[in-house]
Amino acid sequence: MIIPCPFCGPRDLAEFTYHGDAARAAARPAHGSTDQEAWDRHVYDRRNPAGSHAEIWQHAGGCRSHLRVVRDTRTHEITETTLYAPEVSQ
Amino acid sequence: MAEPFISTPVMAATAQSPIADALLPGEYGNLAIGAQVALSERFGLAICDVCAWPGLETKTANAIKRATGLAVTKRRDAVGEAAQGFQHAPGRWTVIAEDPSLAERLTRAVSANATVVDLAHGRTCLRIAGEAGTSVLAKLFAIDFAEKAFPVAKGLATSHHAVLAQIQRVDAQTFDLLVFRSYARTFFHALTRASEEFGYRIVPPRAGEPET
Amino acid sequence: MSGYRRPSGGKVIERGKSITFTFDGKQYFGLAGDTLASALIAGGVSVVGRSFKYHRPRGIVAAGVDEPNALVTVLGDGAREPNIRATEIEIHDGLVCESQNRFPSLDFDMRALNQLGGDALAAGFYYKTFMGPARWPFGGTRTWMAFERQIRRAAGLGRAGTESDTSRYDRVNAHCDTLVVGGGKPGIVQALEAARKRRRVIVCEIDPTLGGYASWSGDPDISAMITQLQAMDNVQILTRTTAWGIYDGNAVAALERVSDHRRDRAPGEARQRMWIIRAGHVALATGAFERPLVFPGNDRPGVMLASAAQRYAAMYGVLPGKRIAIVTNNDSAYTSAIALKARDANVITIIDLRSEVSGGARSIASVAGARLRTGQAVVATAGTGGLDSIQVAPFDHRTRRPTGRSEGISCDCLLMSGGWSPAIHLASHAGGAPRWDDTLKAFLAPEDGRDLSLHGAAAGDFVFGAGLSPAPAPVYEVRAPGKAFVDFQHDVTADDVRLAHREGFHSVEHVKRYTTLGMATDQGKTSSLPGQAILADALGRPLEQVGTTRFRPPFTPVSLGSIAAERFGDLHPERITPIHDWHVKNGARMVAAGHWQRPECYNRWKESVEQAYIREAKTVRRGVGIVDVSTLGKIDIQGPDAAAFLDRVYTNGFARLPVGKSRYGLMLREDGFVFDDGTTWRLAPDRYLMTTTTANAGPVMQHLEYYLNVIWPDIRVHLTSVTDQWAAMAVAGPHSRDVLAAIVIDTDVDNLTLPPMGIVHGRIAEVPVMICRLSFSGERAYEVYCGAHHGAHVWNALIAAGEPWGILPYGLEALGALRIEKGHVTGAEIDGRTTARDLNLDWMLSTKKPFIGSAMMDRLGLVPITRQALVGVVSINGEKFHGGSHIVESANPKKPGPSLGHVTAMCYSPVHDRYIGLALVSSGRARLGARLYATDPVRSASHVPVEIVRHVMVDPSGDRMHG
Ligand SMILES: [Zn+2]
Repeated sequence: MIIPCPFCGPRDLAEFTYHGDAARAAARPAHGSTDQEAWDRHVYDRRNPAGSHAEIWQHAGGCRSHLRVVRDTRTHEITETTLYAPEVSQ
Repeated sequence: MAEPFISTPVMAATAQSPIADALLPGEYGNLAIGAQVALSERFGLAICDVCAWPGLETKTANAIKRATGLAVTKRRDAVGEAAQGFQHAPGRWTVIAEDPSLAERLTRAVSANATVVDLAHGRTCLRIAGEAGTSVLAKLFAIDFAEKAFPVAKGLATSHHAVLAQIQRVDAQTFDLLVFRSYARTFFHALTRASEEFGYRIVPPRAGEPET
Repeated sequence: MSGYRRPSGGKVIERGKSITFTFDGKQYFGLAGDTLASALIAGGVSVVGRSFKYHRPRGIVAAGVDEPNALVTVLGDGAREPNIRATEIEIHDGLVCESQNRFPSLDFDMRALNQLGGDALAAGFYYKTFMGPARWPFGGTRTWMAFERQIRRAAGLGRAGTESDTSRYDRVNAHCDTLVVGGGKPGIVQALEAARKRRRVIVCEIDPTLGGYASWSGDPDISAMITQLQAMDNVQILTRTTAWGIYDGNAVAALERVSDHRRDRAPGEARQRMWIIRAGHVALATGAFERPLVFPGNDRPGVMLASAAQRYAAMYGVLPGKRIAIVTNNDSAYTSAIALKARDANVITIIDLRSEVSGGARSIASVAGARLRTGQAVVATAGTGGLDSIQVAPFDHRTRRPTGRSEGISCDCLLMSGGWSPAIHLASHAGGAPRWDDTLKAFLAPEDGRDLSLHGAAAGDFVFGAGLSPAPAPVYEVRAPGKAFVDFQHDVTADDVRLAHREGFHSVEHVKRYTTLGMATDQGKTSSLPGQAILADALGRPLEQVGTTRFRPPFTPVSLGSIAAERFGDLHPERITPIHDWHVKNGARMVAAGHWQRPECYNRWKESVEQAYIREAKTVRRGVGIVDVSTLGKIDIQGPDAAAFLDRVYTNGFARLPVGKSRYGLMLREDGFVFDDGTTWRLAPDRYLMTTTTANAGPVMQHLEYYLNVIWPDIRVHLTSVTDQWAAMAVAGPHSRDVLAAIVIDTDVDNLTLPPMGIVHGRIAEVPVMICRLSFSGERAYEVYCGAHHGAHVWNALIAAGEPWGILPYGLEALGALRIEKGHVTGAEIDGRTTARDLNLDWMLSTKKPFIGSAMMDRLGLVPITRQALVGVVSINGEKFHGGSHIVESANPKKPGPSLGHVTAMCYSPVHDRYIGLALVSSGRARLGARLYATDPVRSASHVPVEIVRHVMVDPSGDRMHG
């Protein structure tokens, strides 16, 4: 599999580390939250879709950025990659 | 004297390269048509990692330019007479230079726009030069070394299995590789083994300039 | 078979350049350019192997990669490579090959008696006889276990070697705009077209030369096209290269046989090279495979594919027989007939299963001088050693059965053609199901979204000459008495397929697994379609509804050496500290800790590991020792939010840590379990140096990066790995301060300037150092950090300075013993299942702030005091117990009862003069003072009485390290 890193360009799968469901990371309870059920869902519940899946990959063997990758789990087709980066205006 | 965590310049009299014993000048491998690759270590360089705060990348590139004279920008890497710089991650540059005061000059120049980390001891800089250079590198890295994809001065980060590496193209046939110091000996071994079929020359330390 | 070499002709051979090689111990001669197959046919050899199950003699069937029978073992320098197709081995002086699956020799094989047993080895034989419950004394899995060795020897292919393979294998990454697989005419057309558009092109060709079918069928344009292609500077041509798999992102794996065709290799030259080619577009021009026909005796040596004979004649000047008959269901065999005739072959007859044959074909038959027999079929073959004659009978292609009396025809070679299957293997590796083309009677490549195209015969685009049709009659089998083989390599007959059907296997994938049809090393290149046709007949369904089995990589077998490639020997990279060479020179026994090489202990003469570490640990407790801790993970943490960030990732507070001080910190995972520990030093108001355990340096870095990049992108902190920037050495023991005082300048090291957890900057032997007063051993101790390149220099200076106090280096074992005595945890206790409370580290859990894991650590199940908790264990009678032993209550080793936990680490304690350890024991704290047993029934058969004690077994008040 080849993942197009928005910074480095297309690179081999071997350079990347998988970090799971992007939706799950986005739904992490706020730091300091004591909502036990929300934490349980966040830590243990996993969607496992056959089809389009937004997930997090780290380009650990390259620029070390984290990427949000939309991948079809059936065909490995990647339709979208974006960098996780703070939004700023230069 | 700066605190050692800001800068620990390499002191020639007391420093030791991790691959000193492997750097035996000479020619090796298949020399039927001579050595087509020259390998050397650029030991004792100042090496810094400069990381811009979000939104301050251009100011940081300008600061690197002020401190080193390198024409780096947010989009362009540079190879100069006395220094080299390339962006290996978004807003993050590797700068190398002969001048041991590099870290302090950079720290002053970037001020609050970026952070600087001295890596003079933490990375080993190897140079590979010659006609077969890209053929050797293609064995170790899944990177397109064609000049169109990897132009002169460009630098990037990749890895050879567990060994992270940063590579900068110094000229058409010359590349500098930065690897973690602790992996340098193992990696240099892999590099020489990959070079054998082309014939390689080990150039004495501190003479790693491109072949003419 | 009475093959021979013609006095002239042969496109790729060099007349007058004789080559000597050895096959089954006998010397043969061939010509430069020959394959092993062409040289053996030229030498009149007809039997080249014995079949898989029945040990029937087998000859060469094909001329290329599809050869099912002629598998040989190539013997190299000590290494042997089995199952290599003789059609792909280029002979060279000194080549030594053996035939396979014969005992004791090829000509006389005792196991050929298997075939007298008839149907004993029919489809499913192994399942029926050997699997399932035993019906004593015979049958069932037990019988399999008893007979496996014999059966594996009798039924099988080549034998792998036991010597290590000293050849070199390379792996190369390549990138191109267009990858053309197949260097025949359609491939060259594609390559030229792309190259003219200035694309970067790579062409992979299996054979040593380009041209393929165009070359051996005598296409007049092909040489000029090859010359043109070779002149393009943007085209890289890889010959002797098999593209064997295509993966996501158009990444293609190809194996180049770099020097297999030569006796000698240049220094550093690989035997084979694995190419990983990442292509923008992949153009498959892989051609097609001619199919055999299924009739009784179709496996007799002398029976060959029609196109193969044509190819041997054109490329090598070799004819497979003196009287040649042809049997076919399609027009392409007529092309072969005329091509053979043009090379002086005696084609006596063409037997066509079809009753109607086109005018074009008829006229070719007559030009070739071959008697045409339409509506007839071969129903038997005969001969000893080779082929002497065939039986031909009238044939009804609807019933697949002969309809009249047979007639004998004397011939020494029978060529067969069952039509053509496009080589769509690579196109279907990605997963789509091939499409049936009812005109061509063939499966074509699936359509999928990727940037891939097919060309020429691979796309079903066949050109056999004017007036000839590419479509075969849909009949592949002649049903007459006798064994008719579908899969030559796995000895699967047409009856086996029907038997599988009768026993309820109706899907092609199931029939494949039950009969092993198409599961041999050729993966059914020749057999798959005839097999599916027979199944379709049995099911009474059209072939397209039966479908085909999925093709999977590799297209042809790939040597394991080429997959390991450069990882051989270097598979595990060695990571070394700046002081590595000193350790080795001073007698350290080095061990791997992850990638790192670390000293286990420094053995003196005749000293065991245990004696060495006890001596080293005593030195630390009584005098002073020094240990290399450069392997600790080190992370530079900078930024205005550094303190706030650390407060989130550590369970304890770091914001109020003063500059110039360090603190022990504990990290949890999100789920509340312990993740890692280490000390973090505050070097400046917005700058920290975090240390991690050696093993977790990478994971901790990734953990922190994840939170900064993904979860809290607005926190302003930068992380940089500085593990390799710093050499680190710990000087520990009552005299450690004396040693430092003697050598450190530019700072004092007295208790006031450098109290526990304090940090100072100074110099040792000119070199700038940071010194932090930290103790892992429980003794007064200091960690000295300096630039890694200066590490060996500073280490030597410390050793010299420590000489008056008898300083000694210590290794991992002593380090381990000291920390066990002191009750410090490491990866053995932080095993992913333990909480801070389990490890008696609840004092580190801040209640004033949230941190990663704080929300989950108090869940039900993580708090009961019955959980396994960290305790110390001490051998009561002095007996040694073992790491990993279970802690039990029963004194009876035969009935130890349930496990209460396990010993995570043990050592001989110099302080207590006995074996001690750490253990995780349920309700551990409630068991202090209890007498239990450490039992290790399987490995050491030990059952040792132990007392449960507090985990801190030395200096619980901390006076030694604070003094
Ligand atoms: Zn990247």
